[in-house]
Amino acid sequence: MRILILGSGPGGYVAALRAAQMGAEVTVVEEKEVGGTCLNEGCIPTKTLVASAEAYARAKDLASFGIDFTGEIKPNARKIVERKNSVIANQVKGIRGLFKSWGVTLKEGRGSFIDDKQIRLISKSGAEENLTADKFIIATGSRPASIPTFPFDGKRIISSTEALDMQEIPDSMLIIGAGVMGCEFGCIYREFGTEVTLIELMPRALTTEDPEISQIMERELKKKKIKLHTGVKVERVTSDETGVKAFLSGGKELTASKMLVTIGRAFNTAGIGVEHAGIELDKRGAIVVNEFMETSNKDIYAIGDVTGGMLLAHVASKQGLTAVANIMGHKEKMDYSVIPAGIFTHPEIASVGIRENQAEERGLKYKVGRFQYRALGKAHAMGEIAGLFKVIADADSNKILGVHIIGHDAADIIHEAAVAMKAGLTVEALADTVHAHPTLAEGLMEAAEDVMGRAIHVPKP
Amino acid sequence: MNPDELRYHKEHTWVSISGKKATIGITDYAQDALGDIVYIDIPEVDAEVEANTEMSEIESTKATSSVIAPLSGTILSVNEDLEDSPEIINEDPYGKGWIAVIEISDDSELDDLMDASDYDKFIEEEAG
Repeated sequence: MRILILGSGPGGYVAALRAAQMGAEVTVVEEKEVGGTCLNEGCIPTKTLVASAEAYARAKDLASFGIDFTGEIKPNARKIVERKNSVIANQVKGIRGLFKSWGVTLKEGRGSFIDDKQIRLISKSGAEENLTADKFIIATGSRPASIPTFPFDGKRIISSTEALDMQEIPDSMLIIGAGVMGCEFGCIYREFGTEVTLIELMPRALTTEDPEISQIMERELKKKKIKLHTGVKVERVTSDETGVKAFLSGGKELTASKMLVTIGRAFNTAGIGVEHAGIELDKRGAIVVNEFMETSNKDIYAIGDVTGGMLLAHVASKQGLTAVANIMGHKEKMDYSVIPAGIFTHPEIASVGIRENQAEERGLKYKVGRFQYRALGKAHAMGEIAGLFKVIADADSNKILGVHIIGHDAADIIHEAAVAMKAGLTVEALADTVHAHPTLAEGLMEAAEDVMGRAIHVPKP
Repeated sequence: MNPDELRYHKEHTWVSISGKKATIGITDYAQDALGDIVYIDIPEVDAEVEANTEMSEIESTKATSSVIAPLSGTILSVNEDLEDSPEIINEDPYGKGWIAVIEISDDSELDDLMDASDYDKFIEEEAG
């Protein structure tokens, strides 16, 4: 079996390695750098900035940990970006090394279908080559969408890509969109000292999260003195040498030295010859796939952001594994029932399964258990007491329907809930499992107990 | 302990009345029950508050709790010092730890408040 994969992000490279493990002859075409958006302009670089912001926050707060320090502590944007670049370089090397070890051929350049059996590769040097394969996987991802109201100029009006490469800390920043990216960058830059203002069209920050979690995050933003305007539209933007100005619905005007636009992703389906290969797109320009990750052409699969579903690296990876399983003759459906996700704000947020507002909308009979981080000894020891564990369970069966965590290391802790949900476990199972003390994960056990009204470290109501 | 010149609400806030203006804070009992206060979500000037509903949220190392408005009215001013130093409430709940001043909109609500000796008895019962 010869498989050609267009794109080497977390969808494409994972698919390539699995296919190679299963004995396929694999070629990957990559226009930019292996690792895709996730590694080069997304998940990993933001997390390195988060780590720098956390280090700085800790350093500023040394006295509260009993550490005397005299001297100046300040963030150095250039060095922070250097560190970020070296983390990326190391990970890129890792993927390239894995390709080599599994015999995956990497072709660097731009590939596009000339018909449904061939791809024309234009390499970085300009050389052209036609590549054939038995099956193809499109994993070309997405990119920040330029919205006419906010035309990117790369200097004043920027996307996440430039926000990861800032050579100095801006004194003020307007962030369009208080979603995942907006809140993450808001927390990072605020920590470094930038005056941050988030502008959100929807009535609350992080609209895709459980409303209670959004509410706590909004309070945390307020604590950090990040300004948040919700339910407002940016009507118009002007920019000049000194900065940007946003004109909001309702007449308010806001100015800042930078504007970071975090809303909208465009699907990378242009210029890859989908029209020559009989691949159907939806009206947003994303590739239509079925649950086996097949496109309208059964020899061509598509995975990840380019399919326009959940724009998450780990969903892309799983879709890649599913596509490869199907190509290699093991019929497998993509299962979206348990997809955990993390938001790397401070404090961190993680979720899996249903949100309370969804449970309500669907008319489900459910129960909720809660437990506060500040009731955990470990949280106090770490100096990270803000946060909440929230467990939503079926009122009759006690089956876990959803878990939402805001607080330190939430995105790591959530997986216990994800495994439990995947296994169809009840809150009793979570509560009855001994959790090591002292850990933050004890909070999940307590929240599960609280669903049944019997958390230990909660006063009598 | 609880100053005689103040009036008290059953949700453990105090009120100091001067004409149409009322200064509001939380009681010593409340700050003691909360423990070390780490954050208070100060209401905004010009915001309307309604008696017996939440006007602010307080976070302590133990809990997150609502501050329940003792009276209805419009916020005239807030104690901005609490933004960076919420621990002032622990240190001086009846003085420097005041939260907000409101313009009273419904004088009849004053009748629902307790005087210091009633409040002393009230918290004794609460404490069991």
